[in-house]
Amino acid sequence: MASESNDSHKSIKVEDLLRLKRSERPTDTFWNEFDRELHQRMLQTLVKKDPWYRQLMRAFSGPRVQTLGVSCAALFVAMLLMRPATFERTSSQAEVAAVSASIASASAVVVNQLALSDLCASSRSDYQIEMISSEVASVELGFTRDFSLEGIQVASEDSDYSMNFGLNGATFGSTGVVSLAF
Amino acid sequence: MSLIGSVTKAIYPAQSEPVLDRDVDWAIVQKVQAGNVGAFDQLVQKYREPIFSIIYNMTSNREDASDLAQETFIKAFQAIARFKGKSSFFTWIYRIAINSTMTFLKKRSRRRYISYENIDQEVSNSEIFERLTAKNQTEKGALISELQEKLNDALQKLSIKHRTVVILHEIEGLEHTEIAEITKTSVGTVRSRLHYAKQQLQSNLKEYVG
Repeated sequence: MASESNDSHKSIKVEDLLRLKRSERPTDTFWNEFDRELHQRMLQTLVKKDPWYRQLMRAFSGPRVQTLGVSCAALFVAMLLMRPATFERTSSQAEVAAVSASIASASAVVVNQLALSDLCASSRSDYQIEMISSEVASVELGFTRDFSLEGIQVASEDSDYSMNFGLNGATFGSTGVVSLAF
Repeated sequence: MSLIGSVTKAIYPAQSEPVLDRDVDWAIVQKVQAGNVGAFDQLVQKYREPIFSIIYNMTSNREDASDLAQETFIKAFQAIARFKGKSSFFTWIYRIAINSTMTFLKKRSRRRYISYENIDQEVSNSEIFERLTAKNQTEKGALISELQEKLNDALQKLSIKHRTVVILHEIEGLEHTEIAEITKTSVGTVRSRLHYAKQQLQSNLKEYVG
């Protein structure tokens, strides 16, 4: 009796009011409709076409596409790796050109020296000399010789030797490519 | 135990059952994952009422709650293959429901309050209603409608996070740890939010409280 009196005078708390909300319950009719709609929506979900991004993801998950993708990636990597090699080759070509140019200038000097020495030698003995030299050098030297564009042969009185500068396909100076044959 | 407690217990007895049924749920989930789609109905039948209740109390709208509850089950069905059983199924599906509802509420521009007319007869005869009727000197039927509206209004005035915590604890009867797991927050945060939410509700419902 005393406890009932206490209960009746007990203050109402927020928790008590909130617990009343537990009693807000839908009817069986509501749940029948809920189940029917849910099944319908679930069936729609099962047969519904996926959005484009899912289809795209699925398309890229196939083995053939994966193989193609790997191949493309490998090709791309190979291209990246080959590109520096191309640069290196280009730079090596430039180096060759520079070396060739230096060799060409050196050979021109040699030829001039040979022409000069030949001039000196001709005063002492009769040598057969075929040489290539620049026209300027010939004019400066003040004599005419039989130049051959195919090569230079230098003969000395001690031994029979020759120098042969192959000029096939070789140019001096401007293109920088030269080949020398001894 | 107080009379109010016994009445509410009788009306809403299945407050902590999902926690105890973790293994049962996991067995059903494994059936669904194995291809027995029909087994999912067991999970729907088991959780549709608490899921609907949470969403209804968060939205205060019957139609929205129905749609969102269905959406929750559809999402769970679609994602059940990825459910590894690390958490309990009820935690997982409650989280889906709450996240879906939060997203919905953030998008919803206008509030709509629609309450149920059918409040359980047992509650209307309960001691708390007797006291409320005596205190407000109002007819019981009118008091029920008024109180429903005021309670919904007070809940909607809370932020979504505070509302979620107070609904899960005071209405759904979940423990602090369970709420922390569902909302992915700490127990301290749950307690803090609960304390603040109750203060707000106390202020908004002062004509009934005390």
